[in-house]
Amino acid sequence: MSAELSTAGQVLTAHQVSAGYDGRAIVQGIDVEATPGRVVSIVGPNGSGKSTLLKSLVGVVPVLAGRVSVGGVDITNEPPERVATLGVGYVPQVDDVFTPLTVKENLEIGGYLLARQRVPERMAAVLEFFPRLKSMMSRKAGKLSGGERKMLAMGRVLMLAPSVLVLDEPTANLAPLVATQLLEEYIRGFADAGSTVLLVEQRAKAALRISDHTLVLGGGRVVLSGAPAQLADNPVFVESFLGGGTRH
Amino acid sequence: MSVFLSSLGFGIISAAVLAIATVGFTMQFAVTNVLNLAYGSVMINSAFVTYYLNAHLGLNAWVALLGGVATGSVASYLLNRFVYTPFQRRHLAPITIVIVALGVDLCGTFGLQAIVGGSYFSYRQSLGREWHVLGMYYSTLQLTIIAIALGVMLAVAWLLKYTRLGKAMRATSANPNLARNSGVRTDRVISTTWLISGALAGLAGTVFAMNTGVFEATSAQLYIVLLLAAMFLGGPGEPYGAMLGAAIIGVATELSAAFINPQYKMVIAFVILLGMLMFRPFGLFGSERTA
Amino acid sequence: MSAILFYLATIIVYGAVDAMACLALNVEFGFAGLSNFGFIIFQAVGAYVAATLSMGPWRTSNGGFQEYVFGWHLPWPFPWIGAALAGGLLALPFVFLVGKRLRGDFAAVGLLVSAVLLNQLVNNFVPLFNGAAGVSIVPAPFQGIWNPQGLGYQFAYGAVAVVLCVATYFLLRRVTESPYGRSLRAMRDNDVVADSLGKNIRLQRTSIMVLGGAIAGLSGAILVGFINLWAPGAWGYAETIVLFAAIIVGGAGNHKGAVLGAILVPLGFEEVTRFIPPLSNPSLVPALEWVAIGLLIILFLWFRPDGILPERRRILSMSGPGSGSGSGSSAAEPAPDAVFGGALGRASDGADPDALINLGNLDSMDFRELLRLDPAPPDAGPVIMRTEGLTRAFNGVTVVEDVSIEIHRGRLTGLIGPNGAGKSTTLAMLAGTLAPTAGRIFYEGRDITSMPSNRRAGAGLVRTFQLASEFKKLTVLENLVSAIPDQSGDSLTGALRGRRYWGAEDRANIERATEMLHGFGLRQYADTYAGALSGGQRRLVEIMRALLARPTLLLLDEPMAGVHPNLAHKIGDQLTRLVEAGMTIVMVEHELSIMDAFCDPVIVLAEGRVLAEGTMAELRAKPEVVEAYLVG
Repeated sequence: MSAELSTAGQVLTAHQVSAGYDGRAIVQGIDVEATPGRVVSIVGPNGSGKSTLLKSLVGVVPVLAGRVSVGGVDITNEPPERVATLGVGYVPQVDDVFTPLTVKENLEIGGYLLARQRVPERMAAVLEFFPRLKSMMSRKAGKLSGGERKMLAMGRVLMLAPSVLVLDEPTANLAPLVATQLLEEYIRGFADAGSTVLLVEQRAKAALRISDHTLVLGGGRVVLSGAPAQLADNPVFVESFLGGGTRH
Repeated sequence: MSVFLSSLGFGIISAAVLAIATVGFTMQFAVTNVLNLAYGSVMINSAFVTYYLNAHLGLNAWVALLGGVATGSVASYLLNRFVYTPFQRRHLAPITIVIVALGVDLCGTFGLQAIVGGSYFSYRQSLGREWHVLGMYYSTLQLTIIAIALGVMLAVAWLLKYTRLGKAMRATSANPNLARNSGVRTDRVISTTWLISGALAGLAGTVFAMNTGVFEATSAQLYIVLLLAAMFLGGPGEPYGAMLGAAIIGVATELSAAFINPQYKMVIAFVILLGMLMFRPFGLFGSERTA
Repeated sequence: MSAILFYLATIIVYGAVDAMACLALNVEFGFAGLSNFGFIIFQAVGAYVAATLSMGPWRTSNGGFQEYVFGWHLPWPFPWIGAALAGGLLALPFVFLVGKRLRGDFAAVGLLVSAVLLNQLVNNFVPLFNGAAGVSIVPAPFQGIWNPQGLGYQFAYGAVAVVLCVATYFLLRRVTESPYGRSLRAMRDNDVVADSLGKNIRLQRTSIMVLGGAIAGLSGAILVGFINLWAPGAWGYAETIVLFAAIIVGGAGNHKGAVLGAILVPLGFEEVTRFIPPLSNPSLVPALEWVAIGLLIILFLWFRPDGILPERRRILSMSGPGSGSGSGSSAAEPAPDAVFGGALGRASDGADPDALINLGNLDSMDFRELLRLDPAPPDAGPVIMRTEGLTRAFNGVTVVEDVSIEIHRGRLTGLIGPNGAGKSTTLAMLAGTLAPTAGRIFYEGRDITSMPSNRRAGAGLVRTFQLASEFKKLTVLENLVSAIPDQSGDSLTGALRGRRYWGAEDRANIERATEMLHGFGLRQYADTYAGALSGGQRRLVEIMRALLARPTLLLLDEPMAGVHPNLAHKIGDQLTRLVEAGMTIVMVEHELSIMDAFCDPVIVLAEGRVLAEGTMAELRAKPEVVEAYLVG
């Protein structure tokens, strides 16, 4: 369905990455390998460092140790605008659209790096994928509903036909049905079409359902990783979210 | 001709000059969050470069104006690049940058005065014939200024709405991190914004000087108040708001001059500004930006 | 020879006037964090009022060539007293601008513009102070009985000016070195937090502007009595910038710095340029003077932002100076402290100093005694606070919707929920930091929905913040002591009554805070700037500070965020003890193991609404809670 939406995926790897602010590591020694056609998800309780890890991969938070590369090119601590040119599309959790700009203008900024004549064609492809946005092209992004806004945020990234999609809690504050649709229909769809998808998700079970590989973060480190089927039955997995009762 | 119409006529010219200036001023605030209180000194320095080209090198005033525009542009770029940006990188309180801006303003205004002295100057230029428009009298010069202002407003609107650069500028203002994630090189966009807004400062300074006829190094020192009033009226960082604010302030000051007392011309602008600061610091139609 | 003496007398008067102005502006800017860009109008109004009070009626004096108000022909010292009063009163209308809502730089611009506006008004409205020409032939004090042109008179005048300047210095020092001065600096460092600890921000800003304005007014009176004329040209808005330059150069937050700045900048510039021979371009020298002041501001802010004499650190701890690092006096001081006693903040890589913080001293301490609580804990159980339909929207997006909860006395209630559930927003509404869009809040039976946060703190409703909120340029001990409510020295009047009035009480407060520090194992940091501590240490400072604010109901917003798990559990243990001692606590926290161990009941918020309530064990059994966390 979205064969033309994103270009064939590239491998995104993080090797022993530690990252944080002011020289203080919030995540430590993390290895990630996201490959084309697969969804790799990162789950874990609030404050476990999921978002920080993602931000460090796309150049928003400094990497203090370790290496990040995409398609074999080292992007460790490259500025975000350079990471974007290498085909990595990043959707942050909050502030994910330009609120005073219209939907159309948001998409145009998404296609900022494209040659001018390619913009209409890409926009058509994105709108094909998110038809709901078609009727609200001249509306300000700040006036959209939560679900529409997230579609726009992803649409903005898809304008560049990214080979790697990096999504930070795309379902936060979405109604459950919308969230499920977003994950199962769209996000899984990107991977099925050959993209590389790296997803941070707080709806852990839903994330497991669409993932090929999952990392569970706790206290800034990977506490578990593996195929979703193995994880779901692992008692440590549930405990890492809801605590283990009396143990501490 | 009625007093009302004649003062409205003056008001429209003041508004035209002010609109050019305020749009540049508010664009700087939009992309860098700096209240550039040195804007007035950039204006008057540019006006003097125009004067030099006009009176000393004998260029036609309108050709010389291009020199003034270039001066404002380059000076503003350098100011942002070498003063404001380094200070901002230190994550200081906004008030520190305002104090720095005041220091820059002193340097700019009085540095100029040190060079040109305390006397008055005027351009070598004729006012042209008089035109009768809608019950108001204008000189050719005044009509040209209004036309320039209208042209500038249209050009800015076109820039912001239809060009890649303009959209990048608005995106950078709204959400700089997301703009970078979209591949926008925000540092370049910011520099370009200062070049453009600085050009507007240069243009505004020159037409301001043309409009007042005689000017000196400190003529634009209080102009910052009108700028602030117009900007806060339309909402800080909002170019269209700035146009509207400039129109209201320009006309209101001239009308109050005619009907209350010419000596209190500026007072209405002060009152509007203080009222806006107290009750609606994000403009008539604005809402506080989140995050 | 006598020319030099006359000149000397002039310098003395000018120097005293500039120093007084700088001292006053420094108290506003350097201590209270108020950027009063309109400062010069306070000096101006003093000069005008002193002049016109001492002059005769305008129609009959000097042939009536100038027009002005007053003209009461008052003898000294009444014109000077009037000037100080006028300067103080002028501050009142500006309270609207410096109230707590407006962004600091916008408020500063408002003051700047007000100064320009007043200058224009006085310039154009002749009946007030004779317009642009200004008032002249202002009588010097005692000029009927003593010749103002005489050297003796001039030196006597200088002596009076110096005496008043010195008096100002000691008066302001008395103010700033008091508990009230501490509150001013706390407000400067973080006004939202100071407000949440019960400080009345508007009152503090008003009182300090009135005081500063009165001193500025008096300085204007001294000046006009000496130079005998005053006109709008003398007090353009840029004169304020000169005073700011003086303070930036001398050192904001340091009285000696203000005096030094006054001597170096306004006085120094004026006098040095006097000796430059006249040039063909008469405006060259004054213009260059302004350029130099502009450069001075920029260069100092860049290379030496704290000025020549930076604000000094106040050593409060009883054991005296030297205890700043390491040498904990108590034998019970835990051993691990020695490991990082000297090295603040970051330990060598790997080892997190926070893991080693030891709260063990607390176990042997009685919280009821430490917190000065009533001897017998109140009965646990009854509802202390409840909300009805609490709702909050930001720009049309509803973040908290229809939250109705009850908080029971003597319990540690947990507030949990996924990201964006509205936990912190709810807490902020309970504390009054945010006003609800709809709904009501009741505390101890009273409707407090519209009660401002500082008054809620006074009523025992004290909060902490999720983000670091220590007063950075206050020492740890000052941070703690500043939170203690009802200090007799914590008002302008109390401060003016002097150390004899509040000293003993303050010593007791310092002792109490020190005791608290000892309990939390941070005694050796008593005199360290709070901004220099590690993350975990700063969290402890915040908790201690909130405890000293005498809470009945303590609202903690993620107190363990970013804290080493070891320390988090030590904090949790102490919170449990606090509750046993009778305190009620509501805690937002995302670490569920903490909730497990310490909180009962726990309220779950999701998408802005209350989802469930119960013990963690009960909640874990509820499918909707599991869903909310692991949606699937």
